[in-house]
Amino acid sequence: MSTFRIEEADRPHVIRLAVLWVILSAIGVVAVVLFLHIPPGDQTVQGTDQSNTMLLMTALATPIFIGVVMMIVYSAIYFRRTGPELADGPPMLGNAPVQIVWIAASAIIVLFLAFVGITTLATNSSAQTVPGQSSGSASGAGSELQVQVIAQQWYFTYRYADYGGVETTHLYLPVNRPVELHVTSLDIIHSFWAYQLGVKADANPGVDNIFHVTPQKTGSFQVRCAELCGIWHGEMADSLGQVVSQSDFDTWIQQQQQDYAVIQKAVPSYAPFYFPLPIEKGS
Amino acid sequence: MVRRLGFTGAGVVVVILLVVAFVGEFMLRRPGPLEGTPTTIHLETVGAVATANEWPRPNDPHPDWVGYLPTTILRVPANSTINMQIDQEDTPTGLRNPFWGKVFGTVGNTMHLTYFDDKGNPQEGDMTSIDPTLAAHTFAIPDLGVFVPLLGVSPNAPAGSTNVITFSFKTKGPGIYHWQCFVPCGAKTIFNNGGPMQTLGYMAGELIVT
Repeated sequence: MSTFRIEEADRPHVIRLAVLWVILSAIGVVAVVLFLHIPPGDQTVQGTDQSNTMLLMTALATPIFIGVVMMIVYSAIYFRRTGPELADGPPMLGNAPVQIVWIAASAIIVLFLAFVGITTLATNSSAQTVPGQSSGSASGAGSELQVQVIAQQWYFTYRYADYGGVETTHLYLPVNRPVELHVTSLDIIHSFWAYQLGVKADANPGVDNIFHVTPQKTGSFQVRCAELCGIWHGEMADSLGQVVSQSDFDTWIQQQQQDYAVIQKAVPSYAPFYFPLPIEKGS
Repeated sequence: MVRRLGFTGAGVVVVILLVVAFVGEFMLRRPGPLEGTPTTIHLETVGAVATANEWPRPNDPHPDWVGYLPTTILRVPANSTINMQIDQEDTPTGLRNPFWGKVFGTVGNTMHLTYFDDKGNPQEGDMTSIDPTLAAHTFAIPDLGVFVPLLGVSPNAPAGSTNVITFSFKTKGPGIYHWQCFVPCGAKTIFNNGGPMQTLGYMAGELIVT
């Protein structure tokens, strides 16, 4: 078994590279943590989890990226061919300690990141409450709000199961209250993407796709379709989504129930999905 | 050798120019705009553009396609009230989402109809919604929040009858706003939402606000 030994002639290179790598990595990691915008942001608990997970992955990947780029640039400068001769370098027969360290370090980093990523995914798939917020105030605050997202060419509408299944043209959510989103489609495949909420869910006809989200900051958010769905796919967007206080939400939903009462009786009962038969249209 | 290379190069350039011209023409082909005069738009919607009452297009490449006539490119002034008249000639086919049976986004959230009831008698009045199963088309500008269901002509109405729907809506600032129909009326296409539903000049349109 070979032992790990640095040749005397290589020592200055190794020291130079190690010092440079530590300095650049420290700068890179600090820059990533302080200045890099990591989507989707902190409007929801799930969004914050996703941002933190991606920040951790980016921060861990930064020294590796810097090391690889540094080796390429350093080699191009110091080990470039200077003469006309074309000769093989000395044979490299492998070095067990270096290989073991390399494999073990890579495995630890990859497994750690996989654990963090899977944990975030699993947590995002279940209902969460906002840390530090008490639940159970007026109007059902604290209990999970069920909202159905209905995609159709080329618009999203929303139904609130807890409020008589009223259907609306914009998505309003109360802050600090877990929400269960049921995403479906009336025609072809769409994708419901609420960027700031950290939600991107396929909308398939005949499928009830369930996602959980807990808004923790009031403000507006965008909704758009993320699945190419026809001529107006690019227009299938809405920037009027709002996270509001529970009292504002109560006022808004009452207004919606009044505004749409006239058509509500013609809308089918709330169901996990709607799959109208393709009827021969056009007369 | 040089001559052969020259011919090859010239041939490649010609082929590229032809491809660019073909693709460019395909992408830019669209009907001409209908100017608001100054704020009134008059459209006709019919199940087959070749058989329209007011603006028939017998030489259309798709004479049996459903469409809004005479064009679906509408040019209107910004921050203005637009008065719309739509002459609707089709029978009901129903909405896929009954929710769109309500009028909203128009001035007063209402529309005025001259139509024929289920017995074929002429009627007139204001409406804020219709029975979703009786819709033939909708006129919707989602970015302006305008959604208007268009009542289908009663099967008992005299032959050649038309429902006349009038309403007004307000434009916002300059821009291009798409408008569409929410009744899947592109017959013989996937979910009836292909063909004319996805082609400018038929059921897909743009509102150019200047």
